[in-house]
Amino acid sequence: MDLTQLQQDFAQALFSTNTKADVAAASGYVQAQGELSAAQRVGIYRNSAHGILSQHLAALYPVCRQLIGEQRFDLLCDVFIDQQPPGTPYLPEFGATFADFLKQHEALKTLSWIVDVARLEWARHVAWHKANQAVSDFAQLAHLDEQQQAALCFSLPQSAQLLHCCVAADEVWLAHQSSDIQQVSAQLANIQLENETYLIIWRQGRRLQQSRLTLAQWQFLQAVQQGVTLEGLSSEFQAEVATLLASAVQQGWVSSFI
Amino acid sequence: MNQTISGCGIGLRFSHIEQILAERPAIPWLEVLSDNYLVEGSVQQDYLLEVAEHYPLVMHCVGLSLGSVDPLNQDYLKRLKALADQVNPAWISDHLCWSAVHGMHTHDLIPLPYTQATIEHVATRIQQAQEFLGRELIIENVSSYLQYKDSVMPEWAFFSEVAAAADCGMLLDINNIYVSARNHAFEAEDYLSAIPAERVRQLHLAGFEDRGTHLLDTHGYPVSEPVWTLYETALQTLGPVPTLIEWDNNIPSLAVLLAEAEKATSILDRIGKVA
Repeated sequence: MDLTQLQQDFAQALFSTNTKADVAAASGYVQAQGELSAAQRVGIYRNSAHGILSQHLAALYPVCRQLIGEQRFDLLCDVFIDQQPPGTPYLPEFGATFADFLKQHEALKTLSWIVDVARLEWARHVAWHKANQAVSDFAQLAHLDEQQQAALCFSLPQSAQLLHCCVAADEVWLAHQSSDIQQVSAQLANIQLENETYLIIWRQGRRLQQSRLTLAQWQFLQAVQQGVTLEGLSSEFQAEVATLLASAVQQGWVSSFI
Repeated sequence: MNQTISGCGIGLRFSHIEQILAERPAIPWLEVLSDNYLVEGSVQQDYLLEVAEHYPLVMHCVGLSLGSVDPLNQDYLKRLKALADQVNPAWISDHLCWSAVHGMHTHDLIPLPYTQATIEHVATRIQQAQEFLGRELIIENVSSYLQYKDSVMPEWAFFSEVAAAADCGMLLDINNIYVSARNHAFEAEDYLSAIPAERVRQLHLAGFEDRGTHLLDTHGYPVSEPVWTLYETALQTLGPVPTLIEWDNNIPSLAVLLAEAEKATSILDRIGKVA
């Protein structure tokens, strides 16, 4: 028996777009016992692996699951898992491409705004799992001369996720935080879905934060994230730079400088 | 924190962490799912370090894939060692199975064929992991729903021989023995009596689901009566061993989990105090 071939055939049966043939191939290694055939026994593992990963995706994308419907969401998860199985031992990394997968799905083409909600839910997940880091003492900036200030680079918290949504995905997400279905419906009825939104999601200590940004704030934070110096920021944002920087520091969107 | 592990502990679940930190219930020790805490400086690690100040810990992993034909994942090992250096667990455990191959990670625990070649393969990898981590690894039996045509020995012989060849510890999951015994029609007592007691560091208790054609190890229910009975037999056969209540799905309130641990404690106390 070749252990490499066995494991390869087995993994192929667990994550397969040609399920019947691949499960049959893996069954060749397995004894039929009692009421269950060899294929049914391989099927138990296929269901178990898909169950673990679907459960992970359901926990990651709870609002998408409500919007799409539990049964349909679970079916989509099964397809996603077969097409894009996990590539690392770190389960929290699995599901990064789920929003893109939903975008490609024909049945969701008319509900493309759900993709933005999925991207928001992934951003929240990523922000939650990122490392903490030290916050700079911004009072020290006053002691720098003009040349040193011009060369300064600021940083967002590692957890910070900037998101541009074509719809008011944040309001849809917020409306779904209630467990009262009537309340959810009432809130959804008041949402101007087509509103383009700019968001930041970040973590302060053990708390996940989410804020809507103006276009100028979003562009400013994007420039900061790209490593533009204070001189560059001043040139790009002109008279607004002081206000944008001060509010970003105050909110915790900019947490350090070098 | 003194890392003496004795009596009955519970698996630390994220939904209970804040309550445990606020109320500090009298739990002799906690088992942490290492894979949830592998990002250095993350909020999860932040919580865990606080828990580690108050409770003895052991680390339980699912990602080593000790039976895989892929090389051991060095990044995973490094993260595991870094976490162990921070929380100083009494021991680290993982499963006697494979879960990844050729870059595909199933995140499930798949059994191995029970052959001499597999014993040598897994034992070598356990030794490599032990060498990297600088400590003994504890290996757990998994539940199984299939038997390979090429297996030439029963699971208990395979498990014991792997542990002897790798010179590692054993974590005996009583629920998994019961589930596999029912699924493959063997006597659970035969399994227990073949295990070298001197290598057993820990026992697991959990709940399964009866699917009619087979028992499924879901860790989503209370420990069943036949598993409690088998637990008593295990203690009589192996002597007193630190025991853990594992609950991963449909996670109940902390009070329910502690009540299960209390039940295990009373059995352990009746059969013999843990040294």
